[in-house]
Amino acid sequence: MKNRLFADVGTLSLNKRGEQLCGDMVEIIRKENAELIVVLADGLGSGVKANILSTLTSKIISTMIAAGLSVDECVSTIAATLPVCQKRGVAYSTFTIMRFIENREVEMIQFDNPMVILLRNGKHYDYPVTSRVVEGKTIHETRLTLELNDVFIAMSDGAIYAGVGEVLNYGWQRENIITFIEERYNWTLTAKTITSLISDECNRLYAGRPGDDTTITTVQIRKRKTCNLMIGPPADKKDDAAMLSKFFSEEGKHIVCGGTSSAIAARYLGKEVIPEMDYFDPHIPPTAKIEGVDLVTEGVITISRVLEYARNYLDNNSLFEEWGYHQDGASQIARLLFQEATDVNFYAGRAINSAHQNPDLPITFSIKMRLIEELTECLKKMGKTVTIEYY
Amino acid sequence: MKISVCVGSSCHLRGSYDIINLMKENIESRHLEDKVELAAAFCLGKCTDGVSVKIDDEIVVGVNKENFDQIFKEHVLDVL
Repeated sequence: MKNRLFADVGTLSLNKRGEQLCGDMVEIIRKENAELIVVLADGLGSGVKANILSTLTSKIISTMIAAGLSVDECVSTIAATLPVCQKRGVAYSTFTIMRFIENREVEMIQFDNPMVILLRNGKHYDYPVTSRVVEGKTIHETRLTLELNDVFIAMSDGAIYAGVGEVLNYGWQRENIITFIEERYNWTLTAKTITSLISDECNRLYAGRPGDDTTITTVQIRKRKTCNLMIGPPADKKDDAAMLSKFFSEEGKHIVCGGTSSAIAARYLGKEVIPEMDYFDPHIPPTAKIEGVDLVTEGVITISRVLEYARNYLDNNSLFEEWGYHQDGASQIARLLFQEATDVNFYAGRAINSAHQNPDLPITFSIKMRLIEELTECLKKMGKTVTIEYY
Repeated sequence: MKISVCVGSSCHLRGSYDIINLMKENIESRHLEDKVELAAAFCLGKCTDGVSVKIDDEIVVGVNKENFDQIFKEHVLDVL
């Protein structure tokens, strides 16, 4: 059964200072039937050894859970598989499993990581937990019906030790993280942005030198929203009407990029293009307005900047302060595509703009097509459903 | 008089931002606000010769910072 909800995931890890590898590992598996499995594992120690332990743990658990096996079987498999640390004489990795079923229900199984924080309507929600012992390990289990805007924040213990001996005496506790995110939460924030807000704060408390691997993984239940973006007129003028009627018949928001595209879109709608004169950013051409279109921008230059933001979003999201708030065309597109949309449909016209074939200019037809392809890849990595139609 | 500065991709890369600012400065310093309406335009179709500026029904191409004063005098001040 399919509903109109979508589970958005964002994750970030900080490595312990001086370490090349992270001892925390997050595995994310999306299955066909709207099932999402997220496993966060924290291996004993740090560096290579911890990395191997957490990689094995997260891979084994996510694969077995995805195959429908029970948590008991997962735990015994891990116990039998993990290499035993010579120094400490134990094989050990903590884990948090979150399994979202058809965006209706969540099953959480937690072992020795800080307990997942649930925000419901932006406020901390205390969910029921049942504890039992499996292979000598106490695991905490929860089954819960999902609600729109539920936010699940899983973390490794590096998060709650942040600041110990640096800025704070005892680190910041789970309660402090709850207060921190409750104060900053609003429904427009994505899972990745919530993750980066907390992870940045941990890094700040560690004074940029984390004392332990620190991982934050957020899952947010959002409403499915479609955003349609048209860039470039069709190769053959005869296809204008076909492209535009399909584009405007799609539900959701509509973005038109490019001078010629906005001219033909305006003509199709029987409206005028009204350009704005304000440059909010000297590098990004101003936007325009067409009645019936949610956003009208210039093409290639604007989309190049959107792609830059998309790559950064997938990395450490350090440019959020720009695109999250600025009024230029690229920031507005970034907000619509990264924050709002769960489904993105591109309508890419293959017409070659003779003016852009000038060797003096850094924009060519092939660049435009490549930008859209790369942006598509980035959006898919964000977990969005993306389609492209070429005309 | 209506002046529209093209802000399409090609013109933008050739300096529409500067031309808009020069227009604003000149209109303000010469107190022409009542006589001149300044706007942006989405692609005037003269992409290879930007920056293009539409002054009433005439399109002036190749406007840049260097020739701005002369073009402003010829096409705006002398006409008004």
